[in-house]
Amino acid sequence: MSEDARSAVGDYKAGWHDPENATIRFDFGLSEQVVRDISALKNEPEWMTELRVKAFHHFNERPMPTWGNMHMLEEIDFDKVCYYLRSSDSTEKNWDDVPEDIRNTFDRLGIPEAEQKWLSGVTAQYESEAVYHSIREDLEEQGVIFLDMDSGLREYEAIVKKYFCSVVPYADNKFSALNTAVWSGGSFIYVPSGVHVEMPVQAYFRINAKNMGQFERTLIIADEGSSVHYVEGCTAPTYSTDSLHSAVVELIALPGAHIRYSTVQNWSANVYNLVTKRGIAHEKATIEWIDGNIGSKLTMKYPAVILKGEGSHAEVISVAYSGKGQHQDAGAKIHHLASNTTSKILSKSISKNGGRGSYRGMVTVSPKAENCKVNVVCDALLLDEESRSDTYPTMEVGNSGARCEHEASVSKVSDDQLFYLMSRGHSEEEALALIVNGFFEPFTRELPMEYAVELNQLMALEMEGSIG
Amino acid sequence: MSSSYLVHAITDKAAHIWRYTSWKKAHPTGSIEDIPESNSPEISISLVDGKSIPEGISIDEATDLDIERLGHELDFDNGTAAPKFISAVVPKVYKFSIKDKLKIESPLLVKITTTGDICTVRLLIDIGNQVEAEIITIIEGDAKWTGILREGKYGANSIVNDVVTQITGSRLLRCDALSLGRDAQVKAGTVNASSSQAKIDIRHWLSEPGSSLKVNGSILSSNQDHLDSHIEITHTGRETHSRLEWHSACGGKSNTTGTGMLRIDAGAKGADAGQLFHNLLLSKKAKANSIPELEVLESEVVGCGHGTANGPLDEQQLFYLSTRGFDEHQARAALIAAFLNTPLSDMGSQQLHGWLIERIENHLNTI
Repeated sequence: MSEDARSAVGDYKAGWHDPENATIRFDFGLSEQVVRDISALKNEPEWMTELRVKAFHHFNERPMPTWGNMHMLEEIDFDKVCYYLRSSDSTEKNWDDVPEDIRNTFDRLGIPEAEQKWLSGVTAQYESEAVYHSIREDLEEQGVIFLDMDSGLREYEAIVKKYFCSVVPYADNKFSALNTAVWSGGSFIYVPSGVHVEMPVQAYFRINAKNMGQFERTLIIADEGSSVHYVEGCTAPTYSTDSLHSAVVELIALPGAHIRYSTVQNWSANVYNLVTKRGIAHEKATIEWIDGNIGSKLTMKYPAVILKGEGSHAEVISVAYSGKGQHQDAGAKIHHLASNTTSKILSKSISKNGGRGSYRGMVTVSPKAENCKVNVVCDALLLDEESRSDTYPTMEVGNSGARCEHEASVSKVSDDQLFYLMSRGHSEEEALALIVNGFFEPFTRELPMEYAVELNQLMALEMEGSIG
Repeated sequence: MSSSYLVHAITDKAAHIWRYTSWKKAHPTGSIEDIPESNSPEISISLVDGKSIPEGISIDEATDLDIERLGHELDFDNGTAAPKFISAVVPKVYKFSIKDKLKIESPLLVKITTTGDICTVRLLIDIGNQVEAEIITIIEGDAKWTGILREGKYGANSIVNDVVTQITGSRLLRCDALSLGRDAQVKAGTVNASSSQAKIDIRHWLSEPGSSLKVNGSILSSNQDHLDSHIEITHTGRETHSRLEWHSACGGKSNTTGTGMLRIDAGAKGADAGQLFHNLLLSKKAKANSIPELEVLESEVVGCGHGTANGPLDEQQLFYLSTRGFDEHQARAALIAAFLNTPLSDMGSQQLHGWLIERIENHLNTI
């Protein structure tokens, strides 16, 4: 690791990398041929190939966003990204069959152990492809489908064709077009009517190679009255050059269904994380995004819910930590299209060592959506003089019966709280870490316990050296 | 001037101040490269109590030196096309000044009467140090399109209530760019009662220590009105204080937008800032948008916050009034008036408040 990279990422503990043992590695750069080659390699149906090509042309034509951190976005060199890299020839169902170096990586990240203890199923993606995949037998027997996206397309083409790009069209934005053109890996989940997946299913995304682009595609369909909790985590090694992660996630909650999607994003500080996440909630369905952004160089991510069915509900709870050289531009979007729909957004951010945290949100209430209720709360903590916090909320209300509230505040850590904790024997650093963990508590309490503990440890690590 | 406008005429719709009213829509002809002929309005000053104007208050044509000293149009970092356009088309630039240490007992009326198809004015405001005054600027007249650019400064230690009432029925483009001197206390009010289409861009800079600003808006929209207000407050000085309270009552098929930008620059230690947007939706076809933005680059702040609330008239309050003998129309009118009166009553003295209430009462009945 170069000195520059080391100073940029500090104590990032998932920053090691393994030797690159690629079985297939595409050259840097993107062209129509690369897109067609990815599709051919996966032996995809023609409609998918054509969709990829259309998306590729749209990506080329679409300018970069003229909002957000334009300076950082302009630094992305799409010609210096590897768009496909395969390190394992197949997706295994047994960890013993996964190539040893990759298995060791996931061992170090604690994934197999977590799977045994508290997960219903796991997908582990390494570079462009899923290397391991499993689901508990009892769920399989109940008809739950949990596959990597490529297998999903092969085995359930009709379902995938029906829902793919139905929530996030390829032309939605420049990065959804890029993802649609070169997507590889990700998860495909279908939960049949009335089935409740009690324990979470997990996907873990790991980038190992330099200048790598990871473009997973996730599609989750919860049929009527079903429920599922999906957890994703992500890490990458620390390099002095940048990597690109541009995922698309589509959720479909059919009437009465409940989908919770939890993310703890801990990319290294050289990763651009430009993700489009959106769900559609039908009658009385609920979609919840629980979103933690700790790592990455630039994150631009605004989990969205379209409340299409009457009585549906959306909830977005997000936290962001921005350290040196980082910009977490995160937020939420909720569109109330139907009557009696409710939504709640809670966003918390902390900026330190010159980091920048931005909340960017949008709530719309359509003229025909009667009796909607919206509550948005954003809180930000600035820990030092170099850091910055922004809030850019938008509310468009087209129905006179809607009740919409938004409040936001930016503050520093209270001297009184620090003094109180220090008078009880904590060092200033410990006291600060406790206050920060307390600030994030509304988020951590919604996470599975193991993730919450991990997040608290991560935050304690980030707080080290923050005093003096 | 015109070349300076043309260089800046292309604006980006992604900038939130142009999201709901594009510059093309705000421009008088819709062709943004067009710099049409414009009339100059009549401007007069008087006191609300009818007494003669005290010495030390004047409106004159501005000199180049005045423009250099008081002009802020270059400080617009986005949305720069609007002030530059007005600068480019105005036939005359005026300076309104109040000399140092003048205390004016009665509110001062600055009447701007517009005529013709397109009428524009650039008014430089030069409020001296330690001035105590209440100023009501009335924009009225029959011009089809009115453009007003108010720029300048409130002097150190001045205490000023500066209210602009927009009771013109025409299309309106208004840009304010004003800075506060050390320890100045300013209340900047906006009352809108009858503009059919208005794009308002109000910016204040709290660049000197100890300055304090309260921005109040009382906005009434009805019929097919399209009212878009952008309020920007920048704290650069230490120990500065600002509050924004913007109430919009939206009826008919009107479309009302309130965008705010509260910026705390690095070094503005001890800043205390807050902004609130309230929208009352009075009809099924009315629409209200709020974007209260916040950019904080300083950690040593007392607090920075914003909030927005949108909702209908409170059913319980309506019920309460009906039990006290109000019919539905009266009860609704009373609640709307109370809603608009909250910022109105904070704009200045009782005398100023009374004058304002008298002027907008008639317009309440239009909803």
